[in-house]
Amino acid sequence: MATSAPISRRRASADDPRVILEEQVGVFEPVPPFPPRTEREAEFYTLGDGEMFLNMGPQHPSTHGVLRVVVKINGEVVTDLDPVLGYLHRGVEKLCENSDYHQAICYLDPLEYVSALFCEWPAVMAFEKLMDVTVPRRAEYIRVLSGELLRIASHALFMGWMALDLGGLTPILWSFIERDEIVEMLGALTGARMLFNYYRIGGVNGDLNHEFMSRLGDWMTRATEQHDANVRLLNENEIFVRRMRDLGRVDRETALRMCMTGPNLRATGVPFDVRRSHPYSVYPELDFDIPTRDEGDCLARYLLRLDEVKQSLRIIDQCLNQMPDGPVMAKLPRLLRPRPGRAYAAVESPRGQYANYAISDGTDQPFRLRIHDPSFIHLQSVGLLMPGHLIADTMAVMASLDPIMGGVDK
Amino acid sequence: MKRATRTLGVGAGDASQMPSDQPANRRGALVPRQRDALVEAIVVPNTLWEAADPLAYGGGQPTEITHLRELELSSDARRDNGRWAATLEIIPTKADYVLDLIRANSLWPLLSGLACCAIEMMSAATSKNDMDRWGMFPFRASPRQADVLIVAGTLTTKMAGPLLRLWEQMPEPKWCVAMGDCTCSGGRYKRSYSTIEGIDRIMPVDVYVPGCPPRPEGLIYGMMKLQQLIKDRRGHWPERAIGPTVPDGV
Repeated sequence: MATSAPISRRRASADDPRVILEEQVGVFEPVPPFPPRTEREAEFYTLGDGEMFLNMGPQHPSTHGVLRVVVKINGEVVTDLDPVLGYLHRGVEKLCENSDYHQAICYLDPLEYVSALFCEWPAVMAFEKLMDVTVPRRAEYIRVLSGELLRIASHALFMGWMALDLGGLTPILWSFIERDEIVEMLGALTGARMLFNYYRIGGVNGDLNHEFMSRLGDWMTRATEQHDANVRLLNENEIFVRRMRDLGRVDRETALRMCMTGPNLRATGVPFDVRRSHPYSVYPELDFDIPTRDEGDCLARYLLRLDEVKQSLRIIDQCLNQMPDGPVMAKLPRLLRPRPGRAYAAVESPRGQYANYAISDGTDQPFRLRIHDPSFIHLQSVGLLMPGHLIADTMAVMASLDPIMGGVDK
Repeated sequence: MKRATRTLGVGAGDASQMPSDQPANRRGALVPRQRDALVEAIVVPNTLWEAADPLAYGGGQPTEITHLRELELSSDARRDNGRWAATLEIIPTKADYVLDLIRANSLWPLLSGLACCAIEMMSAATSKNDMDRWGMFPFRASPRQADVLIVAGTLTTKMAGPLLRLWEQMPEPKWCVAMGDCTCSGGRYKRSYSTIEGIDRIMPVDVYVPGCPPRPEGLIYGMMKLQQLIKDRRGHWPERAIGPTVPDGV
């Protein structure tokens, strides 16, 4: 069967939902755009002396999902590259416009699927701003607690992937042990392991329960020890450190110019953290540091995430000590119709500033929900970071930026 | 009812002989074969089904080969798809069953994650839920070395072409596992303009593992079902077809 065979799909007619239409959808062929559509494409798809193209993806074991990168190489050295996106474009923003405010949250989960709670959080905050809802303090503490747990899981996975892209298999086994413990714990709290749909408008869906608390207490007794073991696993590995040092260096001005946020920006020495710069939830009541590093290379980005795990552990400890009693859900009508208006909310996800901009037109569905995803912002800087490095290092640079393709393609 | 007239003492129509008098029907005519006796596996002509595209299966020529040993030496068996005889005109019996037992216990999946389910697929492969214990582990990065395509994650229209190309690059025998709601039926993105509502619209699927995403144990259960399927089917695939699974009018 040829790959260009048409795909038929069935959908309800717009006029009468009982009428099922059969329509043919063509399959996309991933070919370079000829004739080129822009000057940049014309320049990129013209080969210089001794240059050749190398196609990586969309099925490539180390591209963290379905990213296709067309690399122009001269010998072993990368001279230019062209990321091709859209292999995971699911039309989330459009789906959100056609569902009511509660339903929209469930479409947002699979964007940053490694840290799904951070996709719900800004949307929920933006909707709460639209509706002037005050969230109970206990719910805010539970949000911070579960969010920081998930940040540790996400950074643990980052450590494993980083090493896997450099050719080491052991760290990913270690990181999945840690991630599985946290995710099982959150599964006891929320009912799902990955796509939680736990934060609701006005609070969270369900209070802390016994199984979650016992698992959390069990894990907390050895979390610091386990983290130190993870740190020792790679930080003293000379091959790893020497390979990562001076790789994919980005200076402070470039990072700011490319709109980098999160650990990638803090690794260049800018102490910007949404939790501190634009405080939300109960973060002003909590005591934590913003670790920074000055080098701005892959090693700095890697070490900075390990430092962040320690701060997250501190936050979790304080959350458990300061957790107030009370309800976890504000009293709200079932059908939410906010007044017409606009609201913006941003949180600090493990990858950087994750923001949502919601527009309400007075109906029960959001008129528009714009998703600002840090992975997409960081991916645009690979064109600056990679040229001049070897082919084998391109995936290490990509991994150190930690993009998640679900968030890039939305 | 009048009996047909039969002559006496002439061959098979001899009326003096009852069916129970035939040599094979007498008591003690069949004795158990000795345990260490060599058995020649035979090849049964296929009268059950035929190829829709005869060119795909050795030109659709009926075979006259009756023994596996002859089959091995013939050009019919010297094909690239790893199965005894490429033609559909014969049903290999014992050897293929044994080979399927071996295949079922050494499934090599393709390392191809599309979206969220890929993380749970990796979780199923790592230490806690070690898929290797049932012979499902060695994830291959190249489709030419893989047996099973685990489609983990939402399939979009843009990714459908590359995924089909991956599937076609995998050598026979090959199997497909649809992991997650998105690949089974469209899941939570069914209403989207850019997703394919179930991968069975573009490729055959052997096992569906629902869940959003399914737990690693769920994937392992699905793979064990696939192993059972491989053993049960004994080398033939009559119901394997591409097509929408949604019944008419839904």
